[in-house]
Amino acid sequence: MADPADSRDAALLAPIERTGRGFYVTVGILAAVILWGAIAYWTQFGEGLGVTGLHQPVSWGFYITNFVFFIGISHAGTLISAILRLSKAEWRRPVTRMAEVITVMVLFIGAGQILVDLGRPDRMLNIIRHGRYQSPLLWDATSISAYMTASLTYLYIPMIPDIAILRDRVGKWKLFYSVLALGWTGTERQQRVLNRAIAILAVLVIPIAVSVHSVVSFVFSMTLQPMWHSTIFGPYFVVGAIFSGIAALIVAMIAFRKAYGLESYLKPIHFRYLGQLLLVMSLLWFYFTFAEYLTGYYGSDPEEMKVFWSKFTGPFWPFFWGMALTNFVIPILCLMRLGRRTIGKVLIASLSVIVGMWLERFIIVVPTLSNPRLPFGEGLYLPTWVEWGEMAGSFALFALFYVLFTKVFPVISIWEIREGREVGLKEVEERLLTYLPDAAEPGVVGTRTEAVK
Amino acid sequence: MRGERSVSERTVRKLQWLWIAVAFGLIGGIITWITHLIRTAWRLGDTPSASIGISLVSIPIFLTMLGVILYVFVGLRGDRGER
Amino acid sequence: MALWGMVIDLDRCTGCQACVMACKAENNVPSVGAKEAVRGRIISWMQVLTEEEEDHGGEVKRFVPRPCLQCDDPPCIKVCPVYATYRNPEGIVAQIYARCIGCRFCMAACPYNAKYFNWYRYQKEAPGQNPDVSLRPKGVVEKCTFCHHRLQKARERALAERRELAPGEYVTACAEVCPAGAIVFGDLSDPGSEVFRLARSPRAFRLLEALGTKPKVIYLSEGEGRG
Repeated sequence: MADPADSRDAALLAPIERTGRGFYVTVGILAAVILWGAIAYWTQFGEGLGVTGLHQPVSWGFYITNFVFFIGISHAGTLISAILRLSKAEWRRPVTRMAEVITVMVLFIGAGQILVDLGRPDRMLNIIRHGRYQSPLLWDATSISAYMTASLTYLYIPMIPDIAILRDRVGKWKLFYSVLALGWTGTERQQRVLNRAIAILAVLVIPIAVSVHSVVSFVFSMTLQPMWHSTIFGPYFVVGAIFSGIAALIVAMIAFRKAYGLESYLKPIHFRYLGQLLLVMSLLWFYFTFAEYLTGYYGSDPEEMKVFWSKFTGPFWPFFWGMALTNFVIPILCLMRLGRRTIGKVLIASLSVIVGMWLERFIIVVPTLSNPRLPFGEGLYLPTWVEWGEMAGSFALFALFYVLFTKVFPVISIWEIREGREVGLKEVEERLLTYLPDAAEPGVVGTRTEAVK
Repeated sequence: MRGERSVSERTVRKLQWLWIAVAFGLIGGIITWITHLIRTAWRLGDTPSASIGISLVSIPIFLTMLGVILYVFVGLRGDRGER
Repeated sequence: MALWGMVIDLDRCTGCQACVMACKAENNVPSVGAKEAVRGRIISWMQVLTEEEEDHGGEVKRFVPRPCLQCDDPPCIKVCPVYATYRNPEGIVAQIYARCIGCRFCMAACPYNAKYFNWYRYQKEAPGQNPDVSLRPKGVVEKCTFCHHRLQKARERALAERRELAPGEYVTACAEVCPAGAIVFGDLSDPGSEVFRLARSPRAFRLLEALGTKPKVIYLSEGEGRG
């Protein structure tokens, strides 16, 4: 299946075989930002959470926002990889690997945000030793563990044929690749085993992913606080996660397309399709948001309205309307017509959505806490350098993990591209014929039934 | 030449067993943890229904993943042995 | 089995905050300092909330002393991931400082904002502290415990003297010190107790009752029969 002598895809192996100056510059910059984040966390670890801007009543802020945001981005892998694989969409081939890598890397960063937020991180093992399953945080721990395991498996198993290519083609790390390739030689039996395993995992990983962001939403909706205790939160968060996940995937694709010269693999058509998916998700996100706020406004519950107006016209209005602009207006304007300058438009829309979805998480977490039911002293949440540093460091750490991955494994699935060239066309033609109506009279020369037979 | 290849092949095989053992260890560890939490909740009388409900869904999922990993491990390597 | 509760008469409360000071002294509640107070980090197990009259230019119309309401269906214990807060059989919602990982989920879940967090290490050993109450380290949540240490001491004393716990022998610091007698503490399950009688007064109401938390701190409204 994967002929190591095939040199058409040398561009996909190039990042592993050679390392340019750009890589070292990038890693240097990322390392500097990560250092800032590490210093910020070290300060917090030593002195306490007092170095942040958190207080009573806003006892959750940037860290929890980042947690929800990063876990949300992890839904990139599931949607693209699993659903497109199951629906046999041929355009998924250069995209699946990048999507799966995003999921794996960002889950670690997301789970790390919770640990950063703990007042006593030295006691984090208490969750394992003394966990209570009535608490949504334990539901989080379980479903994120399940998703991490599933996405790692779902990244590794489809990568095995590529690892075999690396084992045979690339000069270095032979032992490493040999171990991971599990003896892949491309025989019929091995292909069947692999395809079956991938199919099972694709089906398994979708409900796990849906459960992950649903339980993240339950952390908020299971409390009694105004504008948190809403039944819409489960689906709302999942939709938002898929939305932000596609945007992050597009940005990653554009970045690596430029860095590694993958223009012939990641073509405007791929971005066009992803852009259309992003547009659909933007509309869906808007619908959920509209339903949520209309319900709150119409009901006029006084405590909910306090939170509502603080978002619409109160101290949080720049973030709320900024969110509406970046999540809805800009993406619609960019993605309405994707004929020309596809990649540019899709890039702007995606960057806008990433900012917008972060704002959306912020708008969910902080205003409700800022407006307690009882006449408690209300304060304004002003994040400090520690929180900004931690956030920057988290983004940089994610980027670093990703870049390091692309230096060890191919960022586009080589065997799936080759499968597309060799087998894809025929498979699609056969499938197309089964969709078309059968001929009315059998045995007539030149009818499609004859051709199928 | 053949002697050298079989030595590195044996190393590769041993490391592959280690690799699968790590996978088993991780997933097995998670399943053990979930059962530990069920037992604790039962002992303390602290909504054991939550623990049991969640484990009824999560443990089969983890077992399925373990099964798939094992299936791939045996399926891919078994073929090589035949050759 | 006792069911400890409290009745606070808002008609008697003058807003003097003697209860706040007594609570701070009794429970070693740290004073966080002026800078931290401005940042919103005051720890005040008993806190006097002020309800302001909107149409009279912010004039205070009501003082509401708010300890932990010791709910019978506490939202905080449902969400704690590590069993650091739980409701004991006598109705007191306890906080285990040694178990708390500082996730602050209980703070986010409490509709009364009765839980406080140690953002820094606010407490060090110093003379004049109450030796019966442990000092809290940084990074853990704390809240009003109905002066549970006083219950333990009273029980021990009663045990040593081979008798039952007498009514009125266990009383919280805030109830003991209130100069207006606005705070009454006792056993809600004892038909002869003061709190039992007052809890059935026509003026009695519970804060945020509609949420279903079943708080055991009952308020008596001002005037007659107004809610």
